[in-house]
Amino acid sequence: MSEDFAQQIREKARELLEKGEVTCVIGYETGTDGRTARPAFIYDAADADRLVFDNTCTHNLAKYLLNKKGQPTAVVVKACDARALNLLLGEKQIKREEFFAIGVVCPGVVESGWMRQGETLQLRCQGCTEHTPPLYDFLVGEPAEEPAPEPSYEDVAEIEGMELEGRTEFWAKQFERCIRCYGCRQVCPGCFCIDCFAELLDPEWVGIRIAPPEKQMWNLIRAFHLTGRCIGCRECERVCPVNIPLSLLNRKMEKEVLRLFGFKAGMSPEALMPLATYSKEDKLGIGE
Amino acid sequence: MSNNQPRIVGFLCNWCSYAGADMAGTSRMAYPPNIRIIRVPCSGRVDPLFIAKCFQRGADGVLVAGCHPGDCHYVEGNYYSRRRFALLRELLDFIGIERERLRLEWVSAAEGKRFKEVISSFSDEVTKLGPRKDL
Amino acid sequence: MSKLLEKEKLLPWLEQLAGERVLIAPTRVEELTLFAPVKDATEIVLDYENTALSPKEWLFPSTEVLFTIARKDSTPELVEKTIAERYVIFGIRPCDAKGIAALDLPFLSEPADSLYAQRRAQTALIGMSCLKPAPQCFCAAMGSAPNDASNVDIMLTEVEEGYLVEVVTEKGQGLLEGVELKEVDIEPPPCPDTAAVPAEGITEVLTRVFNDPFWARLADRCIHCNICAYVCPTCYCFDIRDYTAKGNTERIRTWESCQSPGFTRIAGGYDPRASKESRLRQRFYHKLCYFPEQFSGPLGCSGCGRCVVHCPVNIDIREVITRAQEIGREASAASG
Repeated sequence: MSEDFAQQIREKARELLEKGEVTCVIGYETGTDGRTARPAFIYDAADADRLVFDNTCTHNLAKYLLNKKGQPTAVVVKACDARALNLLLGEKQIKREEFFAIGVVCPGVVESGWMRQGETLQLRCQGCTEHTPPLYDFLVGEPAEEPAPEPSYEDVAEIEGMELEGRTEFWAKQFERCIRCYGCRQVCPGCFCIDCFAELLDPEWVGIRIAPPEKQMWNLIRAFHLTGRCIGCRECERVCPVNIPLSLLNRKMEKEVLRLFGFKAGMSPEALMPLATYSKEDKLGIGE
Repeated sequence: MSNNQPRIVGFLCNWCSYAGADMAGTSRMAYPPNIRIIRVPCSGRVDPLFIAKCFQRGADGVLVAGCHPGDCHYVEGNYYSRRRFALLRELLDFIGIERERLRLEWVSAAEGKRFKEVISSFSDEVTKLGPRKDL
Repeated sequence: MSKLLEKEKLLPWLEQLAGERVLIAPTRVEELTLFAPVKDATEIVLDYENTALSPKEWLFPSTEVLFTIARKDSTPELVEKTIAERYVIFGIRPCDAKGIAALDLPFLSEPADSLYAQRRAQTALIGMSCLKPAPQCFCAAMGSAPNDASNVDIMLTEVEEGYLVEVVTEKGQGLLEGVELKEVDIEPPPCPDTAAVPAEGITEVLTRVFNDPFWARLADRCIHCNICAYVCPTCYCFDIRDYTAKGNTERIRTWESCQSPGFTRIAGGYDPRASKESRLRQRFYHKLCYFPEQFSGPLGCSGCGRCVVHCPVNIDIREVITRAQEIGREASAASG
């Protein structure tokens, strides 16, 4: 299957480049460990054979379109990545006519990393509720007819169920390891501010220290800035060099947004995310 | 919290709640002294960054007060703040800052008495919560 | 004849050291191996290839107060900082020890960084040579080796009977006071191989390939986080800012990275390395060209491979070196 997908992607890439419809195709190729994928930028139809698609294609390539403004670019997207395209379209960061989405009906990717191609599907794939990208110009794979199961928030509920001291201790222990490398931010398609709040010096919201109060504030506010916007690719968690379970924060907010507003980010480019709008009839358990 | 006195920061909107607090003061109503008030044009101007900064610097509680829904001087600012702080409370609680430490209240310019009640009850509640567990 | 420390004597020795100094050793935290201060020797792990983060933070902390300016009745007074503790880092691999030797060059050249100098003088290094390098290791290509003892105070090599002990410095000798070592006739195991990387002459080659389009293509996938610089044992870029509270000012230094967007932005808004290409190229040029030129010596890379393991998009310094050499050869051939 993955060889067939790779073939289709290569053919499409070759076609788009030869016809001059795009100047670059962003896809996946095999990395230097010989077994896991990494992002690939193909500018020449002759190089299209480098493109692969396998179960280590975890990267969310949608964000790279932000570096290709004004240049027609094709990008290979799984269903989760395509939600990022909708997010970026809705927030006017990319123009629909400037990209060509090669959607892939992805069966899931495994836990992977340098020299590591896991056996089990990533947790986000295990809980995936739609495998067909909500946005594409060309589809690789058959669109799946599937019932939409309820998303599971078991691990979020586990933390919610802890006593306050337990929760505090848990997060203090996790944030202690944080080195503010901003890997989470740089890989996230929802984080594209030119000047991130964490690095502003005037006004200085966080400060430069790599210390517990700053680390708590950094992670807290990043999760809040993604509330109603996070599309659940969980790349932040994958790239963290010290294994902080960052997606717990984002999915806690995903759960709240679903509960209070019935909203799921990235399903359409027009949908306004809950914090960008309001209803006079909101009953949210606050201010009453 | 020093000597069991909580440190509370209040973001009060200029048109309604700040005026309400003013009224409480001019009417000589007694209320706990542990709130530090910051006047903002609208409760919708209150950025979650302000709240987080207060907590980062050791505040025990943060109060955001605005006009009653429907009466916002800027028409809709308080509708946004209602959604914003409903969600922020959940995130704060999740990482170990009790949701009760962030309160959103509607206080109009004529409600001096209500302001006194709000700040008294909030101060009591925060005192009962005790010192911050996450610091 | 060599000296041997029997297996069961290792942890008691380390616990004894932990009583006198701050013992930094590899520990397991949530499936990660990290250097951390240890009081109880049972926390120490011995089955690791290398730690997720380098031990540089024990000499060059990620956040540090450089000095304080206190106010005594409105007179400002500089309060210098002294490091009181003595440290011993156990289990440091040759690549990380080489990393510390590399950090010595910028931090100890005149005028020396007094905090680094104090920590360095007060830290002893007990190395553990590598019997089984990982696929990402290339220390030999960078001028070190899995059994390179030149940058530690004591080098331990695990054998069946225990640990062969090579005392490298007087400081190391001092750590072994009261420790019983056996005289044995055991050959150290042969030095294992590490990944071959054509690093010979890389500094000169880089001076010729600065403008090649290769760098822009490489930068396409870089996401410009700080991961490579922060996990690296030799990277040392930092940020400094003063913070004043209640009349006292602290000067804070923290890690930073040349990869960050805006790292070279200056007052007025101009940024000489605004492009992704220029920032990514800078990392390799600093490590492999400017650093050896500035300090007339070793490359600013010790071959530990952490950047290769942790880079979210597989930017691999070994691939970069190989490609730069190829481009250098092509350029030479073209110019005849």
